[in-house]
Amino acid sequence: MVGQPFLRIENVTKRFGRFTAVDRISLDIAEGEFLTIVGPSGSGKSTLIRLLVGIDEVTEGTISLNGARIDEMPADKRPTCMVFQSLALFPHMTVGQNIEFPLKVRKLAPEARRARALELLALLRLPADYYGKRISQCSGGERQRVALARALAFDPQIIVFDEPLSALDYRLRKTLEKELKDLHGRTRKTFIYITHSLEEAMVMSDRIAIMRAGRFEQIATAEEIYSRPVSRFVASFMGEVNLFALGSGADGAPRWQDSGITAAPGALSLVPGWNGTAMVRPELIHFVDGGKGGAEFTLSGRLAAEYALGSRVQYAITTDAGTEVTVERPFEARLEAPVGSPVRLGWDRGSVHLIAEGAGDGAA
Amino acid sequence: MTAVSRPTRAALYLYGALILVVLYLPLVAVGFASVSKARYLSFPVKRYTGGWMAEAVTSPTVHQIVLTSLKIAVTVTVISVILGFFGALAFARFQWRFRGLFQKAILLPIFFPQTVLGLALLIWFSAIGVTPSWKTAVVAHLVWISPITTLIIAIRAYGFDPALEEAARDMGASTLTVMREVTLPLLMPGIVSAGLFAFLLSWGNFPLSLFTSGVDATLPKWLYSRMVSGFTPQIPALGVMSVAGSTVLVLAGLILVRWLRRRT
Amino acid sequence: MERLERRMGLLAALPIGLLLMVSFIMPMVVIAGFAIMPQKVFELAHMPDFSSFAVIWEQGYYKSLLRSLGLAFLTTAILFVVCWPLAYGMAKVFGRFTLVITVLVVLLLFVSENIRLFGWNLTLMKGGLIEGHLRAWTGLSFETPLYTWPAIVFGMCYVYFPFMLFPLAQGIALVPDDARLAAMDMGAGPWRILFEIEMPLAAPGIVVGCLLTFVLSAGAVAEAKLLGGRSVVVLTDDVESAFTYAQNWPLGSALSLMLIVIVALIALVPISRIDLDAIMGRRK
Repeated sequence: MVGQPFLRIENVTKRFGRFTAVDRISLDIAEGEFLTIVGPSGSGKSTLIRLLVGIDEVTEGTISLNGARIDEMPADKRPTCMVFQSLALFPHMTVGQNIEFPLKVRKLAPEARRARALELLALLRLPADYYGKRISQCSGGERQRVALARALAFDPQIIVFDEPLSALDYRLRKTLEKELKDLHGRTRKTFIYITHSLEEAMVMSDRIAIMRAGRFEQIATAEEIYSRPVSRFVASFMGEVNLFALGSGADGAPRWQDSGITAAPGALSLVPGWNGTAMVRPELIHFVDGGKGGAEFTLSGRLAAEYALGSRVQYAITTDAGTEVTVERPFEARLEAPVGSPVRLGWDRGSVHLIAEGAGDGAA
Repeated sequence: MTAVSRPTRAALYLYGALILVVLYLPLVAVGFASVSKARYLSFPVKRYTGGWMAEAVTSPTVHQIVLTSLKIAVTVTVISVILGFFGALAFARFQWRFRGLFQKAILLPIFFPQTVLGLALLIWFSAIGVTPSWKTAVVAHLVWISPITTLIIAIRAYGFDPALEEAARDMGASTLTVMREVTLPLLMPGIVSAGLFAFLLSWGNFPLSLFTSGVDATLPKWLYSRMVSGFTPQIPALGVMSVAGSTVLVLAGLILVRWLRRRT
Repeated sequence: MERLERRMGLLAALPIGLLLMVSFIMPMVVIAGFAIMPQKVFELAHMPDFSSFAVIWEQGYYKSLLRSLGLAFLTTAILFVVCWPLAYGMAKVFGRFTLVITVLVVLLLFVSENIRLFGWNLTLMKGGLIEGHLRAWTGLSFETPLYTWPAIVFGMCYVYFPFMLFPLAQGIALVPDDARLAAMDMGAGPWRILFEIEMPLAAPGIVVGCLLTFVLSAGAVAEAKLLGGRSVVVLTDDVESAFTYAQNWPLGSALSLMLIVIVALIALVPISRIDLDAIMGRRK
């Protein structure tokens, strides 16, 4: 990102009556970037992209593209295009007519429109004879591709996606996620994608923005978010992670509250008076043999349940302190013990990520 | 949130309000006329009286006519709701061979000029030797109103899950029990609205009654005969009372339907 | 189960089917029969001829047929334009106000049309609600618009307003919001959205609304009598006089038959193509 940013969202606020859906958001997006906004429903992510394409008007703040303001431009004039959750394909038109619609609006000659539509069908790997098909004759995945082709025909500077994959079944979704990423690589358009699934975001995006209650909680690469979430919210959003309450006394020695964790001396030192959470991913915890150390942090409990996840096995452990801990092991390294057996869990300093009360990393 | 701009929304509200005013303007005129004291009506009304209403209420002729109208409307309501209930099941619920055809055939009487229907029925009754009376008017009203009750109940029938009936049958209920215990209560809001429509449409109908009720005049028919022979203050007086009665009935019906919906 | 459903369907359709057979289909058959009888006979046991149609041609009755159809067409076109914005508001913009409009418009349906037309008479006549007040307040005056053909069209627009409004609103409700937004997003202006997205998607409602309005106003009679003051003779007037004053059943039947056939030709094709299950909201 050198020089002037491509798309700049500055201090944007959107209020509906007394409810603030988007709260002073700022964000720069580079040309050709694939940015995904992730958040639970009601976090304001849909509102944000509706502001971006011009369906709703911003209450405060500015949006500019290549330095020029676009937030006061009506939707039909903005160089943005949205792929709707419902896809919004026109059911009374054929696949070809749908794709040609934006070209027709632009008053392109019929032959040129047809040529471009066929080109796009090929780009999206749809057979040319789909040109004359009705939308109702297309499958879910095919409709998805038609919607994409239509957005590409419009040739916007930015394509915005409003959870277009959420209605599809798991396997088709996985395929299309990869196709979308691939398409992004080939077209080098700027993609802004919203979803409530962090997993989906991680597959496709260059950067991910986590949204909560109208604010961004963290904006970072997938790797960064995965290994260094800035808050409990981001951490818990990723699915099953173990979060332990942690504090430190005046001397900076860690206090593991009531979790029953035994730490090797000097394994972790904190700033005095630190308060927050320690995050340990399930796959970074291993089983250690009873008695011997073998890990910087240990915790004992009983095996409560075991779930086969295919290539991995997940264990629910009830600790002696009465809390629940999740452990995941590769299938090859699974624990061969009956439910109810006593187990000892262990992990190292490198597996612990600290999240301070509020935000930011508080490790000394 | 359909991206309709604020000025457009305001304009639409204004337009809606304006149309309502225009729609009710003639009733306002009728209302004023019914309480104007002058024998020969002219606006603005200067002196008011309730005399015309009182006269209408006490007139034996009016009693006779209201009674005939009521008799027709009540009979039509009962029969058309029963026909409509079964018709709606055939229309929306059961999958049977001629359903498509049935759905369209039901629409024909609604899509039919009522005056022509009334006259055709008049000829038909004469041809088979039936003297027109309030009973033939009932038949004429039924031809037009039963398809309407069918459609109204059908809308409700579309909304309910056939699995409910299947579940009841699965638990050993007979066809009759299913109908009484499941189908009927679920369709009740539709049945009440249909009954309301049937009554009011029959009560206010003019073109069908005109030709098929013979010597038994209904209220709209009697009013019409007065209108074409010149203005008398009795016309607006009766008109206003008829409208007021309908309004009360509609409000009562709305409350009843709401209450029924909340229960199911 | 399936066989049971089939039998139940037929059984349930039977009562109303019988009613319509006896008091709708049979009268039509009788009308068709009388249409090809010699003039002024009262039973069907005569040698068929086409004298009624000859009379219609020679005495110019076809003119009132054309007049009726013309007025009906005009009424339909005006109502479509008038109702679209309101129906749009009801389907997409108004929240509770939609319920208010619905109740108030339905309520109007229950008021006998001759009372309402009589009300227009009182409103528009010289010294009526409008002119009377205008003169009292400003001293200005105007000639009454009553007893002309535009008054008849106005009356029909007024009486058949709900029959256009509700189907249109139902049709517009079928248009997904996203389709509009997507078109707008891709640069389409309001007129393009109206003609290429909204109208095609609302087509079932448009067809039903226009058909109802056209058919009902083609067969209207009260408007011409109460607002037109017999200045304009419409087809239904002719039918009525033929059956009543003139006591010429074959002529009346032939005139009715012509109206029925024309209306049927116009209405049947669209009706047969409409998917009623979709319009009335079947759960899939």
